[in-house]
Amino acid sequence: MILKAKVYNKIFAFQSLKEVMSKANEEKSGDELVGIAAKSASERVAAKLVLSNLTLEDIYNNPVIPYEEDEVTRAIYDGLNLRIYQEIKSWTVGYLREYILDHKTTGENLLHISRGLTSEMIAAVAKLMSTMDLVCGSKKLRVQSHCNTTLGIPGTLAFRCQPNHPTDSVEGMLASLKEGLAYGSGDAVIGINPVEDNVETVSRLLDTVKNFMIKWEIPTQNCVLAHVTTQMKAIEKGAPVDLVFQSIAGTHKANDAFGVSAAILDEAFALAQRKGSATGPNLMYFETGQGSEVSLDAHLGVDMMTLEARTYGFARGYRPFMTNNVSGFIGPETIYSGREVIRADLEDLFMGKLHGLPMGIAPCYTNHMKADQNDQEMGTLLCAMAGSNFFMGVPGGDDVMLSYQDTSYHDDASTREILGLRPLPEFEQWLEKMGILENGKLTERAGDPSIFDK
Amino acid sequence: MPESNNQRITSVGIDIGTTTTQLVISQLTIENTASGSLVPHVEITDKEVIHRSQIYFTPLIDRDLVNAVAISKILESEYKAAGLSPEMIDTGAVIITGETAKKENAKAIIDALAGFAGDFVVATAGANLEAIFAGKGSGAALYSSERHQVVVNIDVGGGTSNYATFFEGKAVDSSCINVGGHLIEFERHGDRITYISEPAKIALQITGQRLQVGERVTLPQLRPVVQAMAASVVEVLKTPLHSDLTQKLLMTPPLQLGHQIRKVMISGGVADYVYAENQPTTMTEVTAFGDFGPLLGWELKASLKSAGFVLEKPNETVRATVIGTGTQSVNLSGSTIHLQETTLPLRNVMVVSPFSAIIPETPLKIAEIIRNEIIRLQMDHSEGVVAIAMKGPRTMSFSDINSLAQGLLLGLQDYIVKDKPLILVIEADCGKVLGQCVHASANRLLEVICIDQIEVDNCDYIDIGKPLMGGRVVPVVLKTLVFNR
Amino acid sequence: MGVENNELEKVIIQSVMEELARKGLLSQKGKDHMMSAAMMDTPIVPNLQSEEMVTFPPQEEMQIANPFNADAVRAMKKLTPARIGIGRAGTRPKTMSLLRFLADHAVAQDAVFLDVSEEFLQRMNMMSVQSAAASKDEFLQRPELGRRLSEEAAKSIAEKCEKNVQVQILIVDGLSSSAIEANIPDLLPALMQGLKSSGIKVGAPFFIKNGRVWVQDHVASIVNCDVVISLIGERPGLGTAESLSAYMIYRPDENTVEADRTVISNIHKGGIPPAEAGAHLTDVIKQILSAKASGVKLNQQK
Repeated sequence: MILKAKVYNKIFAFQSLKEVMSKANEEKSGDELVGIAAKSASERVAAKLVLSNLTLEDIYNNPVIPYEEDEVTRAIYDGLNLRIYQEIKSWTVGYLREYILDHKTTGENLLHISRGLTSEMIAAVAKLMSTMDLVCGSKKLRVQSHCNTTLGIPGTLAFRCQPNHPTDSVEGMLASLKEGLAYGSGDAVIGINPVEDNVETVSRLLDTVKNFMIKWEIPTQNCVLAHVTTQMKAIEKGAPVDLVFQSIAGTHKANDAFGVSAAILDEAFALAQRKGSATGPNLMYFETGQGSEVSLDAHLGVDMMTLEARTYGFARGYRPFMTNNVSGFIGPETIYSGREVIRADLEDLFMGKLHGLPMGIAPCYTNHMKADQNDQEMGTLLCAMAGSNFFMGVPGGDDVMLSYQDTSYHDDASTREILGLRPLPEFEQWLEKMGILENGKLTERAGDPSIFDK
Repeated sequence: MPESNNQRITSVGIDIGTTTTQLVISQLTIENTASGSLVPHVEITDKEVIHRSQIYFTPLIDRDLVNAVAISKILESEYKAAGLSPEMIDTGAVIITGETAKKENAKAIIDALAGFAGDFVVATAGANLEAIFAGKGSGAALYSSERHQVVVNIDVGGGTSNYATFFEGKAVDSSCINVGGHLIEFERHGDRITYISEPAKIALQITGQRLQVGERVTLPQLRPVVQAMAASVVEVLKTPLHSDLTQKLLMTPPLQLGHQIRKVMISGGVADYVYAENQPTTMTEVTAFGDFGPLLGWELKASLKSAGFVLEKPNETVRATVIGTGTQSVNLSGSTIHLQETTLPLRNVMVVSPFSAIIPETPLKIAEIIRNEIIRLQMDHSEGVVAIAMKGPRTMSFSDINSLAQGLLLGLQDYIVKDKPLILVIEADCGKVLGQCVHASANRLLEVICIDQIEVDNCDYIDIGKPLMGGRVVPVVLKTLVFNR
Repeated sequence: MGVENNELEKVIIQSVMEELARKGLLSQKGKDHMMSAAMMDTPIVPNLQSEEMVTFPPQEEMQIANPFNADAVRAMKKLTPARIGIGRAGTRPKTMSLLRFLADHAVAQDAVFLDVSEEFLQRMNMMSVQSAAASKDEFLQRPELGRRLSEEAAKSIAEKCEKNVQVQILIVDGLSSSAIEANIPDLLPALMQGLKSSGIKVGAPFFIKNGRVWVQDHVASIVNCDVVISLIGERPGLGTAESLSAYMIYRPDENTVEADRTVISNIHKGGIPPAEAGAHLTDVIKQILSAKASGVKLNQQK
């Protein structure tokens, strides 16, 4: 394993694979904060050069966090298909990049080798890829999943309608939901972040949304994004849960801080299968984001991007219906600028897809970052071109409960029309029945929430 | 200070009407709905009716005087049936409606119920308040906010019809007309007239009908006068220009009709006949209860339909007013207020609103306005307790709040020396800081009650109950309410 | 000069035409027509003295053309602060929605990235010190620096502040300088009045720039107070950039955890108004002093 490189007249030597992985990253605030970022532009390229020459076997033999110490590492290694790994272990990371981009390599080919790739291998190759490389790679990969409806069908783009309310008011939530549906948002899921994480609030919101879905015959799924254990209690009390949500991270320690573990997720998945209200087979909804381990002080000296890949390695065993990335939400100490968010979003979309996950992106930002609406709209279009399965839908782009900005109902409709993408088929039929959509375009009637007030 | 996050109170509502008397007992859940780090926000989160009485004929001594003792007997037996004793009742209201809403009756009933209706039950009356309670009890208020449609509820009883217009859950208009099913009385299941009330005489006269007590009438003879009354009820919904009959029957100013009406709901004793499938075809059917309620109901439906109004069915018909009274009469103050617990409860506090518009900037000017108002009013009400009601300080700045406190103290100097509590009721969310400023500015110990986030400018008197939720809020009952003063 | 020439020209044209009209050579209509043609050349000069200006329409205004039920849309807008009922231009927001969004974001960013003004601090007559974070960029990217005082700050607090008081009040910019300027002028006098009239001994409040919540622990260790309360700017949302929180703790030490702090948030004119919050905080501090505990430990005693 060669850990030394020469960039023109300068020689750079690295101590470990872990160091190479972190220094090969594009600039990000969180890696600087932890003190593991490259010290110069040349050092960054040197690390990429070293990385390109390493084999997949080198990476397999040097997990960034030991197998014995970390549940996430165990999930990654235990879930690996060794036969496929054996076939490709001699590939260098540089070769893997070219294999991914090669015209002869199809999405099917990529999903096949995916099973023989550890999360660190996937992170490594993404570190060698430029923005357009990431878009090309992501676009090939198409992952479908099914809960009540099918997500990820080629030519479609779905949205989570996110009608959050600052005091969990059911009426206020419904008002935002109606507005979102009137713009064609909500085919991925109707998902609400509650303020109060308790069974009563969660059940009340779940019941309300489910009843609305039944009354208006809306083909989608519902979810309330409380802690997984709260949702499990709600399910036990009879609340209708289509998708079970949880935020997860890339280290055992960070997951501890989130109050989750493989055992809890196993139990939640089993409960969703036994007592959930959806068709399935995909019943989980995960959220992830670069930097969550840093803000929880649970990064163990590993870079944010590699940890994000490990999060996907942890997620894939649960065959989620959707995995959403919210890197722009974590905070300025991890991702500071619009440029950093866009880069992270594209990395995460690619890494998630190469893990075989049905990925969506929230190209979002908070008000204490150096990012604005233009960054967010660029990120959205790039991720849409790269074949994100879904985005969020927030009224006017302003989440009044979580206090951050994300794709708006308007952005949802715009992105579909710009790229000629359609809602999920069942939902499109419903939109046409309601007179909201016609031939893939909003009708005159669209955008009026009072069509639900006859 | 124990701080449980919710509390239950038991409320009684009693409706003593022209024809019937009813009672409901309900349980109100009061909860702090603010999450973790927010300042508490206490509100009524659930209202459940736990006991409905039978429907009694209102016991009368003579045609105008209610038998108050008989009413207290009804209460006693209904409490027993509900398994409750008077001490278990926390709050509530008696509403005396329709033809019985007379001064002598009110006084007698309050006296007779003193020992039976709990520690904090008040008598309220007034056609407008009654109309609003009926509309809240019938479900019209909720319908208007859930469907985002303007709904008029008409509670048609024995003596009167009470209108309340609801927009997004709030009453925005009300009126009352002297039309009811009991204005002419008959032998039960018969056709002989036993009594004709004054409004019925007017209707007969204007429609040119001649009916006399003791006469037997046929359905075709009775129909025109009932049709005329029904038409008057509908006319008030349609236009501000009224016929001679309607003008004579109106008991309050008419509806202002500021909102376009989308739906009409009818509650009250006559309502079930409005929503009946078939019309009464014989006098026997009409006079089943010794009046013409069934016919009035049918004619009202016909009249509404021909005027193009869409009828919606209420959740409650005959019990609407009593349910509204039992569940809707209690309001809660804001959750950061200034109190002296020992002073409460207070009953029949006269509301004085000295400030017509914006409160002036300087304490001297504020004091002057208050002094003038107090002097003017104390001539009529010398010994009563007074609450000073206002929308809010000039701005929400600390200095304006402090000026207001100083102005109030200065203006109320003469009132305070009588050792009366200083009661301030303010709409803006600044009750606690205003109370604190009054305390800081007063140079002696003073009983101050300063409650906020409650509108009282439409009412004449309030009752302030004992604090709830560990002293965070007080229940307030508003008495008499008018819109177009 | 151009304007004057133009005025002169107009006067000449006018008098010529008046003369023609008087002689019957030009109809009234023709005169009007020619006059207005002459006027068209008049350059439009911006009037800088005018009070007129461009503003946003009221937020509650319904922006949907021909909705199915306009009352319902208006009612929905009242039920949530979310941006609904805002209409569209094709699939994009209307111009006013777009500009309002940009304005709200701009106000939020200014709240985070601008400092509390010197003029404000002088007006409030407050001592000002700084955390270990030297700039806003450093403050945002290195959270640990905002959690302790700079050496200079620690020194001046040790020198100038009264020790062993019952309550020390700190004004901390946190993530919103705007929240400080908007709320402190009404909150602080209400809080001071409440504490003083309850006979509580209070140290002189001072300001900490680039500070986070935990900086209060550092201050408490120097002034040795019973309760330290930080009035700190919250992370701005687009709805308001002026929201303030109060964090209170009883005698923090090295074993202090987050749950030991009592928090009251959402203090601003649209939430709990600052003056009322001052009176409420007085009560909370009195509870903390009498229980000798804050946060979860205080709640357990209730």
